[in-house]
Amino acid sequence: MANYVMFIDPDRCTGCNACRIACQMQWGLPPELNFNSLIHQETGKYPNVKRVIIPVQCQHCKDAPCEKVCPTSATYTTEDGIVLIDGKKCIGCKYCMVACPYNARVINEQGVPEKCRFCVELVAVGEEPACVSTCMNEVRVFGDLDDPNSPLHELLEKREVVRLRADHGTDPRIYYAKSKRV
Amino acid sequence: MRPISRRSFLKATAATATAAAILPKALQMDFKVFAQEAQNNEVEKIPSLCNGCSSYCGVWAYVKNGRLWKIEGNKTHMKSQGHLCARAHGIAQNVYNPGRVTQPMKRVGDSNNFEPITWEQAFQEIGSKMKDIVEEHGGDKVVWACHGGKESYASQFLDIIGSPNYITHYATCFTAKTNIWSNMVGGMYNPDFDNAKMMLFVGRNYAGGIIPAAMKRITEAKEKGAKIVVVDPRFCELATIADEWLPIRPGTDLAFYLGIAHTLISEDLYDKDFVENYVYGFEEFWAHNKDFSAEKAAEICDIPAEKIREIARELAENAPQAFLDPGYHGLAAHYQNSNETAALNIIINSLLGNFWKEGGLFPAASTSFGKLESGYYGPVAQKGNRADGAGIAGEYPLVEPSRGIPQRIPDMIEKGRARVIFFYSYNPLRSAPEPEYQKKIKNADLVVSIPLDWNETTYHTAHYVLPECHYLERSEYPKVINGNIYWPAAQVAARFKALEASNSTMALLDIMKGLTTAYGIENLYPYTIEEEMEAALGPIGLTPEQLKEEGCIELRPSVLPKDEGLSFGTFTEKIEFSIGAWRKEGYLGVPTWVPPLVEPKEKNEFRLIHGKQPWHSHIMTTNNPYLMAITKEKNGTFMWMNSARAEELGIEDGDWVTVTSEITSKKVQVHVTEGLYPECVWLPSTYGTFSEKLEEGFEQGVNYNDFIPARIDKKTGHVMGQECIVTITKGGK
Repeated sequence: MANYVMFIDPDRCTGCNACRIACQMQWGLPPELNFNSLIHQETGKYPNVKRVIIPVQCQHCKDAPCEKVCPTSATYTTEDGIVLIDGKKCIGCKYCMVACPYNARVINEQGVPEKCRFCVELVAVGEEPACVSTCMNEVRVFGDLDDPNSPLHELLEKREVVRLRADHGTDPRIYYAKSKRV
Repeated sequence: MRPISRRSFLKATAATATAAAILPKALQMDFKVFAQEAQNNEVEKIPSLCNGCSSYCGVWAYVKNGRLWKIEGNKTHMKSQGHLCARAHGIAQNVYNPGRVTQPMKRVGDSNNFEPITWEQAFQEIGSKMKDIVEEHGGDKVVWACHGGKESYASQFLDIIGSPNYITHYATCFTAKTNIWSNMVGGMYNPDFDNAKMMLFVGRNYAGGIIPAAMKRITEAKEKGAKIVVVDPRFCELATIADEWLPIRPGTDLAFYLGIAHTLISEDLYDKDFVENYVYGFEEFWAHNKDFSAEKAAEICDIPAEKIREIARELAENAPQAFLDPGYHGLAAHYQNSNETAALNIIINSLLGNFWKEGGLFPAASTSFGKLESGYYGPVAQKGNRADGAGIAGEYPLVEPSRGIPQRIPDMIEKGRARVIFFYSYNPLRSAPEPEYQKKIKNADLVVSIPLDWNETTYHTAHYVLPECHYLERSEYPKVINGNIYWPAAQVAARFKALEASNSTMALLDIMKGLTTAYGIENLYPYTIEEEMEAALGPIGLTPEQLKEEGCIELRPSVLPKDEGLSFGTFTEKIEFSIGAWRKEGYLGVPTWVPPLVEPKEKNEFRLIHGKQPWHSHIMTTNNPYLMAITKEKNGTFMWMNSARAEELGIEDGDWVTVTSEITSKKVQVHVTEGLYPECVWLPSTYGTFSEKLEEGFEQGVNYNDFIPARIDKKTGHVMGQECIVTITKGGK
């Protein structure tokens, strides 16, 4: 059993979109379907301009609203903390899509509201999720918080972290370094 | 005949061992069993090298059931270090792109119609036509135009028929840099990000023209405290993570550099020991530039004098662990002063004394491969003059003949200097200026294109199309992996065939064998690719099997910091601030201020500049559905315009505008931004596909090459691609 979390440092992201397409390849998604997006925020007036790019995907909430609202328990959380959906149980009501504060779900070719799976098959064999390993700027760090040797401990201690829409009380497993540029 | 049901057919075949042996596996078993077996089949990992740009990042192709699943970065490879950009993933999936040419084709009639032909017919017809042309007009009328930098097997053929016309794309991309560095330093030097305390990037956006490992190392250096300053008219992707973005008036980077050099010298901040020991022509440079102060620079480049001095002082403070990045496409082919700008880049780094120093600049580590002999012992024709005039007195004497001038091929045809044109994986109709002019290439006696897909040059000019297979469908001669970024050791990597070609395409070696044999040259390449690989690797003690296992092998470190005894590959063995070749041609040897060729004046006039978008590789990727999906989501085809200028013209984000240059008028949507110098507009270099057979990219956006005439810089032959004024009016669509 593991306690998987992800750390994302938006100040490292330069918007190349490799994470998006590496994920699409990993999961065999068509071009227009993707599990992670980059939200660009540009502020300031010329020539004092700042840009922060925030990678957003399923936050794997410990208190996942999508799981709570699912009428058939198609959405569930693994014992390692990964939120998944069982397509066979899904009736396509899209309630989970509406409940998600992060707009993280997309309807796949089978009509199932799919999303980031924390690359469950890869992490099960000790590899990194596709969005993590492809990233040249090493924006994301994935690991097991129960592992005392995980670099996550130092990162979470060193950097001030925030979680997206903390006001919803969803307790996400993705921790964002607070941007030094905003 | 009595129909056979699928069930009874399967039963019958299962019972017959001999029949089963020749039937596809899928037909030998029940579908459920087949599906299960397909599911459980092993994934094979085969090493290759990405084909998305000149970095050739190391990739592992994951193949299951004969299909490509995904690629991952090779951790050893110095350009990828395990990471890949978006286009690498996209380019890999191009193996399934519907825009590919899937078999040899021959143009029919005047319109863009093609008929499929066999390889044999293609070779015979091209071979005999070429033979007739060469016999009548000479072998020097044959041109081989390609991207450059990869084994093309063309030189062996050109050498025999007497053609000097090997032309690369460099003049449209970075030729001022490589030409000037070769003249002044004796070759390229590359930055050591890991140990730098200050990095100055001018017109070089590593987060757009991506080398993944460079970005990884820049990001890490920043975390360790290195300062990053980005000078660029656009708030580019690298500026996102920079400590400072200094917007500069495009075309005046030379003035900024002269201001920096002036500060370093006049304030006595430069490395006098280095200049004394390793520089030739310092006094001559200073004599001609001592009046070009930071104030004068500021007037021209629009960066305040105090800021220019501050940057110069900070560089000097951190030297030699400080560098001005040698740059790439941005400044090295696009302005009348690109040559002098490249020269000043070298001069600033020399004044910082950072050559061969940690955190400074180093040459590329290298190695050499074994080569197999040709089996041809027949006559060899004497070489004629180059059709493009590169390296020829009275024409373009300073242009390197090994690179050439690709943007004026129609002239060479019109003058009768070129009659047979080969395009290998090269598409000047979209990547060189003035497409309507380039279309005249069709008038050559014989045009043969060897492409992956139906690119514009193929579609609009080729008489014959000989499709090359996708990079994952072939093994290739190994590559030395080095250059562009400092790495102490050379590496060796190669492409290994990961997928069987699902169509009638061929690897280049086989195409060249077919062409030359049909021409009448026997045994020019008397080897298979496997034999060639073995011969290449033998002398460095490696085998193809080892390389296939590792994907990329690093040799011993050979380029490490040195404090003394430096020697540069020039006549004086020093860095030459005064260029001998320039003096010989009657120019001043040292660089001085040269203004840009054109400047915008009116309220609706702008300079048109361009750059690489992080998820596209210029025009290489425009037909890729995955990468174009990102374009759609990000409004990637939009032209950037400064918000204050847009307001003056009443233009809002997303508005259509008409953009008119001296040669054309096109319509495009506008992205209004605070992140752009007001006097210019910026276009991504990706769009404007005009080959109808590339459906994904067709007529999406516009391209900077639409707007610029096909000119030639007199010194290094580049296109001056940003010497372009456009007038912009709202509306039009």
